[in-house]
Parts: sequence; structure tokens; C-alpha cells
Amino acid sequence: MANALAAIVGLGMIPCGKHLERSVIDMATEAVYLAIKDAGIKPGQVDACFFGNVLAGRLFGANTIGQNVFWEVGINRVPVINVENACTSGSTALYLAYNMIAAGQAEVVLAASSEKMYVKNAGLVDAGLDELDTLLGLAAPATFGMRARRYMEEFGATEKQLALVAVKNRCHAQFNPLAQFREPVTVEEVLASPMVADPLTRLQCCPIADGAAAVVVCSPALAKRLGRAVNIEATVLATGDYANPPNLAGFDTVRRAAHLAYEKAGIGPGDLHVVECHDAFTITEIMDYEALGFCPVGQGGKLVEEGHTKLGGRLPVNVSGGLLSRGHPVGASGLLQAAEIITQLRGEAGERQVRGAKLGLVQNMGGDKDGDIRACTISILSTW
Amino acid sequence: MPGIFTLPPYDDEPPALLGGFCPVCNAYYFPRPKYCRACLGPLKETRVGSEGSIYSFTIVRKKAPLGLPQPYGVGYVILKETGLFIFSLFDPATLDKLRIGLPVRLAVNTLGVDINGSPCLRPYFTPMPVMSDPGKI
Repeated sequence: MANALAAIVGLGMIPCGKHLERSVIDMATEAVYLAIKDAGIKPGQVDACFFGNVLAGRLFGANTIGQNVFWEVGINRVPVINVENACTSGSTALYLAYNMIAAGQAEVVLAASSEKMYVKNAGLVDAGLDELDTLLGLAAPATFGMRARRYMEEFGATEKQLALVAVKNRCHAQFNPLAQFREPVTVEEVLASPMVADPLTRLQCCPIADGAAAVVVCSPALAKRLGRAVNIEATVLATGDYANPPNLAGFDTVRRAAHLAYEKAGIGPGDLHVVECHDAFTITEIMDYEALGFCPVGQGGKLVEEGHTKLGGRLPVNVSGGLLSRGHPVGASGLLQAAEIITQLRGEAGERQVRGAKLGLVQNMGGDKDGDIRACTISILSTW
Repeated sequence: MPGIFTLPPYDDEPPALLGGFCPVCNAYYFPRPKYCRACLGPLKETRVGSEGSIYSFTIVRKKAPLGLPQPYGVGYVILKETGLFIFSLFDPATLDKLRIGLPVRLAVNTLGVDINGSPCLRPYFTPMPVMSDPGKI
């Protein structure tokens, strides 16, 4: 679209998996290198950098590491900003890069993110020991177990409908060489896998992962010269409202972010060709459908059951395999999700290409607080 | 977890959760924040509830943190006294009884360990005792 204020011209990522021999910095450096090469720019052209990560401080005592990463590819002197925003850290880096360019303060900005999670004795992801909820036993799967149970109670969704999200996304992952788990699964296998947090079984919870991704964001004028640009029609970030009572059966904060993103981009959900949404658990994808306006409230289970969101359906969702197949390297996931939409809009997704995809949406969310989410980012990207 | 529940011994009053109350806004909070979020005025420490019903719950079956039993139950309880929805543990001995809408009451007992690894008191909700059938008396 002619009026987009910034564009993505470079993409780099490494496969998600168990990279025991690699550090957070090492993985990030490769992703940034690949993004720079992909864009065809020189390190000296970069005006600023944002780096997303969540766990390196907690797991390795490594803080403020964006500077290390960018210096490995010859970038110094310009502003480097480290970003921590739970599972939206990577997409928040993109949000900040976009805004810096849209404000006319930079012409080329790097947004990168990396996460290493495969370490010994890692527990479930939680909000930190300074939170009362954590001290009372709240961890990520519990949050979504409670959501799933409440959602099923209010709308009559079935265990099979939940399982079908995992089945669909694993089916997509067969065609994504960068996904961590690529074997198809059946509804029966999903439901028979060990229970993690009722009613969510293991195959309904995203696995952890080590991974990294980076994008080069630039002004429309430079994008025109570089080519292969993916326009950023809108990118928004919403914070939870933490209302009491909370609504565990719907993502009100995602809905608020979606309204804003659609308004900014001047499009509606019916215009989209391809979507990546935050399927950290099967229930989240179903609730995301509703919050993003793909179906009425309470109909998300039916939407997946009728096949509308699979590759070849009316609106393919998580064609990459999603977090459920790729794994969820928390701080890096937002950019990995964006990477799939960028790849799709460039027409470079191979066997999983959504034909004619010109307009895509990526939704990422993170953190839990008071029965709400801490952050939700939505970006709408195009190549028309 | 200092200051979020009344401490034993419990004589006449049952254990209760302690939160904040803003007399200007007539608003209850749990746990008690530093200021009223609506008017930024001071909050009074107040009992926010001893009883309620289950809004939703789950049973966590993996990697129990902080010395909690495995499995353990958590969920949201709607407090009868103030209408607040609060996150809580459930009685580890009654996990099979949990269902949405179940009436529950607060208990405080040693459950798990604190961040230093020492056994500590935690508040949790347990099903209300079932009333004996008056017809049988």
C-alpha cells in the first residue's frame, strides 16, 4: 500500500530446536547476519537496533546483550536498546523499530531477538518470584488450563475442537523445515498425551525452544530501492486492562489491539489472506480467532473443526506450524511469527505457500497478570 | 506472603484474605496495592473474603514449584463478601471435587516452601462442608 510508513527488507532466522552448544548471542548473531545479507545493506547503514530477550538474565546472568550481538556484525556507536516484554519481546522490538522510522528518526533499524531455553532443571515459565500469583503456584500452562476450562463451560467447546488446533498446526509443520516438531499427530494422540494442566495435554502446550530471528526495517523510500519489501501497514501494542472481574473466556486485550490495528491499516479481518497467531496453547488459538474477528464469540472451536483455518481453507492460520510445532523461544517468538508472514507475502514459503497471499496479520502476546495478558502486539503486513 | 491473610490462631473469625479498600471509590483490591488505582488515594487494609465459588480451575500435573504437592490445583474464586475474582490454590486433598461453581472457603496451612526453601503458610480454598440432609434428622 502506498501509504505504509515503513517496510521490512531483510529477514534472518535459525531453525528452532535444541541448540545445546550455542549461546543466546551466537544464535542472535547468525540471525542478524542473515537479515543484513538478505536486505543487501551494510552495517554502517544501520541507524539503530532493538534486541528482544527474556530469560538470559535469569538463566545465565547475562544482561544488556544486544550490544554484544550487534557488535559481532560490526554495528557500534548507534543506539542499541534491549527490550524485555515477556513473550512479546521480539515483536515489541519490531514495534519500536517501526515507530522510530515512522517518526522520521531513522532510515534503517534492526529488530532482533534470541532465546535459549534448553538448560537443565528449567521449570515452567512463570511471571517471576516477586509476583504473588507465582508464589501461589501460577505458571503459564495453569493460566491457559483455567482459560480452557472456563471457555468450554461458557461456550460448550469440546476437547476434540481444542485438539484439532494441534493437529492442524502439526500438519502444517510438515512443510516447514525451520519447525522443531514436524511429525503429524492425530486427535487421539493429542488427547492421550500426558496431562499438563487440565484440560490441556502435552501436545496442546507449545514446547520450549532455542531460536533467534531478525528483521531489517527501513523507510519506504529506501525500501523502493532495495526491492522485495514487505510493507508494514500497521503495528500496535496493547497492554492488559487488568479489570476485575477478569474474562478468562475471551481475550479482551487482543480484541482491543485488533480493532486498533485494523483501523490503522484501513482493512478488516475479511481482507486477510494469511495469519500467524499466538498458539502457545490450543485454547489460545481458538480464543484468538474470536478476538481477531474471524468468527463470532464462542464459535472458535467450530471454525477450526470445519477446516476454515487450515492450509487451503478460507483463512489459513499458523501455516508455519505455529508455536505448537516450532516451539516457543519466548523472547524470539514474535519475530519468528512475523518471519512466516514475511516469507508468505514474498511468495517464498514453498510447499506451505498460501497462494496469492498479499495481506497478512501476525499476533503475538505475552505475560499474565490478574487474569489478563501483559502485552499483545499485532502487525499487518502487505506486498500489494 | 506477608499481609495477605489473617494469621492464626483463629478463634471466632474464620481465616480471611486481606486486601485494600478505598472509602472514596468504594473499591476493593487484592492483593492490596500501594494506592487506589482509580483516585490514587490511600487504602485501608481490610478483609476481602473468606468464602466464595469457583470461577475456573486447573490441576497442574508437572514440575510443581516451591515444594507444592504434585499434582496441585489452582483457579479463580469469586469472593462472596466483596465480589472480587482472585487467584488461589485449592486444597490438595480435594482436587477430585473441583468444579466450576463449587462453594469454597478459605483455609490457611503449611503448604510448600517459600523462596528460601523453608516451609511456609499458604492460603488455599477448600470445598464447603456439605450440609447434612435435614430430611434425615
